[in-house]
Amino acid sequence: MDSVQVQDPLYEKTVAVVCEVLKVKPELVKLESHIKNDLGADSLDTVSLLMSLEDVFKEPISDETALTLETVGDVVAFINSRKNQVAAV
Amino acid sequence: MKRRVVITGIGVVAPNGATTEEFWDNSIAARSSVQHIPEHWLNYWQPQSRLWASLPTIDFDARGITRIERMQLDKSTILAILSAQEALTNARLPPKLTDEKKNLFSIEGFSGDRTGIFMGTGIGGISSFAQNEGNHILSPCSTLLQKKSLSPNDFSEVVHAPARFNPFAVSMAMPNSCSAILGIRFSITGPNRTLCNACASGTMAIGQAFEAISHGTADAALAGGAEYVADDYGGVFRGFDVAKTLVKQCADPQTANRPFDKKRSGFLFAEGGSAVLVLEELSQAKDRGAPIIAEVLSHAETFDAHSIMSIDASAKQIRRMILLALEKANVLPREIDYINAHGTSTEQNDEIEANTIESIFGTRPLINATKSLTGHTIGAAGAIETAVTALSIARKTTHACKNLDEPVRPLSFVTKPAMFDIRTAFTQSFAFGGHNAGLVLREYRA
Repeated sequence: MDSVQVQDPLYEKTVAVVCEVLKVKPELVKLESHIKNDLGADSLDTVSLLMSLEDVFKEPISDETALTLETVGDVVAFINSRKNQVAAV
Repeated sequence: MKRRVVITGIGVVAPNGATTEEFWDNSIAARSSVQHIPEHWLNYWQPQSRLWASLPTIDFDARGITRIERMQLDKSTILAILSAQEALTNARLPPKLTDEKKNLFSIEGFSGDRTGIFMGTGIGGISSFAQNEGNHILSPCSTLLQKKSLSPNDFSEVVHAPARFNPFAVSMAMPNSCSAILGIRFSITGPNRTLCNACASGTMAIGQAFEAISHGTADAALAGGAEYVADDYGGVFRGFDVAKTLVKQCADPQTANRPFDKKRSGFLFAEGGSAVLVLEELSQAKDRGAPIIAEVLSHAETFDAHSIMSIDASAKQIRRMILLALEKANVLPREIDYINAHGTSTEQNDEIEANTIESIFGTRPLINATKSLTGHTIGAAGAIETAVTALSIARKTTHACKNLDEPVRPLSFVTKPAMFDIRTAFTQSFAFGGHNAGLVLREYRA
């Protein structure tokens, strides 16, 4: 996956979705935050988060991809790569 | 010994009002909701009926339903939450937030273990099921079209696949989602039941809650009905349309829906609706100074054992249900001041119902049909109509039976709202399958 920067425009949007779904404070969310271990998401929360990300970014997330999205940085990198792919077409 | 049961809170979402007061004001002013069905439904078939009663615009965020919840709950459940919240607040039992993450509440002064939930629904999460089935079937079609270098846009009018197969597909479609979500949301842990008896579901749910409190199984209950039947492809509408139950076209759509009128042609399909009542054992309600709207005196049910889709013309079991409800309430037919009728505007129902009412009650009681204003909200209808019955007792007025120019029988149909001496009232519902249910309500007397 592409490298991710905190100033990435998608980062802020991703953090907002994470905070909305998991009800955590923005200051607790870092690029390296593990969605389950650090942010306390259970399996239902993870499903909710994926649905919400799909809804906000209008990007389908396959079950295979979902398994690879462990940290906030993983999510931002994935969304970025999808947006870049679309832009390149 | 049976205990007395009173109604202390009401919440309503109907096609002609997103809150109880909006619904009541619009009903008294004879403002109904009648629109043409969504244009894109006509891509799938040519319906005989082209009208429905859509819901008003609702600001879900402002009423506490989060974006995440809107993705994970069927609309019928969301409507039930709205009406339950309103009913609790009106009963002076405002829900208190206990879990921000899960949007869960508790109700102060209420024992969760001694409070029940009884919700009726005709077809539960049918619209969510249809939406996910649409994704399931149509997504491969879209992929195939792309592979063959055909544009899905060429077929977009019919191959309209939703963006995702929702991970909550099962819990959204389950009929018991509605009662379960209300229990979860408001931390109510007593008996939790779902009544699926088509158009009588709401009345039966309130009746079962009444029985539970009356017999001591619970001290209080949230009871009512919820329905949402607008799937993206119009398939549920088609089911009723093909059965020739729906209202026919007419020059002025606003006059198409006309219960008990000689020119009626079928029922007006409603997008959805919900009503929830707070029922309480009398001493509990009095102890906490609750606003008592009306008392429930009795509930009765019978079953036609006749036809899955047609009302029994002999009305034998409807008649038995009415007499049973009166007997249980210890009320004579002449004591009933007002009847909120099932009144669907179908040819068969209204004639049979009017004849049955006349044979038991004569022409004295006032009669109206709330469906003349809301259309038919299926599993929510009986609950909305019980709400109207209770409010009509409390406010000593009621709405007109809209579009009634030539009544099928010379009964005392309400033609315009006025002050009426409504003390004791009856509301009844009949359903596909053959279910009949009724409730006797009375003004509260200490």
